[in-house]
Amino acid sequence: MKILVSFDIDGCLETGDPPGPITLDMVRKAQSSGCIIGSCSDRALSSQRRMWDDNNIVYDFVSPKYALGDVMKQFEADKYIHTGDRDMDEMFAKKAGFDFYWEKEGAEEPWLAMLEESKD
Amino acid sequence: MASTEMFPESRYRKTEGLGVWEHRGKVAIVGLGNSPTSRRWDGTLETSLGAWTMLAAQKALDEAGITVDDVDGVIACDKGMGDDWGGDASQGRGYFEAPYDSEDGLSGVSAHWLVKNMGLKNVKMTYHAPGCLSTALVAAAQAVGDGEAHTVLVVRGTGNMPGRYHQTPGNTTGGNGQWTNPWGWQLIPQIAFGFDQYCRTYGKNHDMMAPFILNQRRNGSMFPEGFYYQNRPDDLQITAEDYLASRWICKPMNMNDCDLPIQTAGAFLFTTAERAKDMKKKPVYVLNHVTQRGVVRSSLETMAETEEFSAHIARKCYEGSGLTASEVDVFNPYDGFTLFTQWFLEGFGWHGVGKGEALDFYAGDIRVEGPHPFSSSGGNNGNGRTRWWGHYDTVQQLRGEAGDRQVQIKHETGISGAFTPGHSDWLVLGTSPD
Repeated sequence: MKILVSFDIDGCLETGDPPGPITLDMVRKAQSSGCIIGSCSDRALSSQRRMWDDNNIVYDFVSPKYALGDVMKQFEADKYIHTGDRDMDEMFAKKAGFDFYWEKEGAEEPWLAMLEESKD
Repeated sequence: MASTEMFPESRYRKTEGLGVWEHRGKVAIVGLGNSPTSRRWDGTLETSLGAWTMLAAQKALDEAGITVDDVDGVIACDKGMGDDWGGDASQGRGYFEAPYDSEDGLSGVSAHWLVKNMGLKNVKMTYHAPGCLSTALVAAAQAVGDGEAHTVLVVRGTGNMPGRYHQTPGNTTGGNGQWTNPWGWQLIPQIAFGFDQYCRTYGKNHDMMAPFILNQRRNGSMFPEGFYYQNRPDDLQITAEDYLASRWICKPMNMNDCDLPIQTAGAFLFTTAERAKDMKKKPVYVLNHVTQRGVVRSSLETMAETEEFSAHIARKCYEGSGLTASEVDVFNPYDGFTLFTQWFLEGFGWHGVGKGEALDFYAGDIRVEGPHPFSSSGGNNGNGRTRWWGHYDTVQQLRGEAGDRQVQIKHETGISGAFTPGHSDWLVLGTSPD
């Protein structure tokens, strides 16, 4: 099973302003488990790239929040997930056909359970 | 001193035909102070607006080399621009021990709160001014000129509470709001609509704003007092791609056309030209002050009204100061929504920019090192929302103390103001009282 996970930054990732509950270790774990990972945020694209680079994470994509649909077109996956802390995240995720998880739900790493289940 | 009156409306200089300001060159700015900045209040009293306003005020006094005992007047813009602290019961926010036992000192700072908590025992005059620190600044110029006080602290704490900013509750609206709220907070569709009219009238487009935005951020990268400089230097490195990819808020206005709400406090110290001679900093003289309160015919300001408001402000600034457009060196109009800054540039005719020419002007050399250092402060887009960075920078530029931002052209006069063409207050400043 291939899962794409899109992370909002501010209020969602620990590197956000304000910091969110999802740690970069969780992102690394998702990636090492086979997930396609990246960020969809209102932060500038260059700022998103710098955030990943500064933390030595080789991201698969960065995108404006409104362009989740374009991310879906770029990557083939069985499941598309966006996690964020605002109703705008929810709106854009649903509009693009992503499953949406609030940041606190994202911090429970639901994608890991999905991958585990898919093995059964 | 338990309360403070509003500065009387009749004392603002609102109309044309008033002639040269009667106190031209007799009032000076001799101190500036700014607290640290943060994105939101962290809930500690050490970073509250009250504490930070006292910090900013003390810095302004230190710059001038005077003490709290030398101050005899305080004018405050007493309301911050963010939400209240205790008003949101859903957040369970309780007040603190005195003096933080009400909104005063938390979401805004009144003049009498400052007097009491800074121990300004010789203060005999306090006023409040609504809306912007700019309004308090022009009030101070007039009060000192009129002899009502000789040394006046002008302060504002402007905050941003935890959580989301200025949310309009509910999914329905009525009254005038029915025409605007469906597109967002009222001013947003108005500014976006006005800019759209501008582009259609003059054959311009939103992409042409990019050089201005990038230059504002660049100037912000040279403004140590600013929010981005202190907290998010990455956001000062945005590219044209970043700007153009930014999410629409109300097309053609995107996120990067809007300034960022922040937590900070600022202070300006005014005194008489006579007293200024004995203070530490080189005085920057007030040559005029202007207030704009435009009346629109409908619920939404039209481009024709905006253009006339802007020209009207300029004519008043020039008339009261005796300056002409070609004599204005530093120019720092408000940019909180960047899509209205072109009106000011064209209305004032700064560096010969005429109607419909601002966006082409942005494509030229507007760097502080260059021949047309427009908005040398970086404004609120480059420093976070206070609405006073333009005034702050203009004083620093005229002192020759703007550091890496120091303009290379002559810097003997300057104009700064906020906030919109329809509703704003302006200072005309000079290095000489004559």
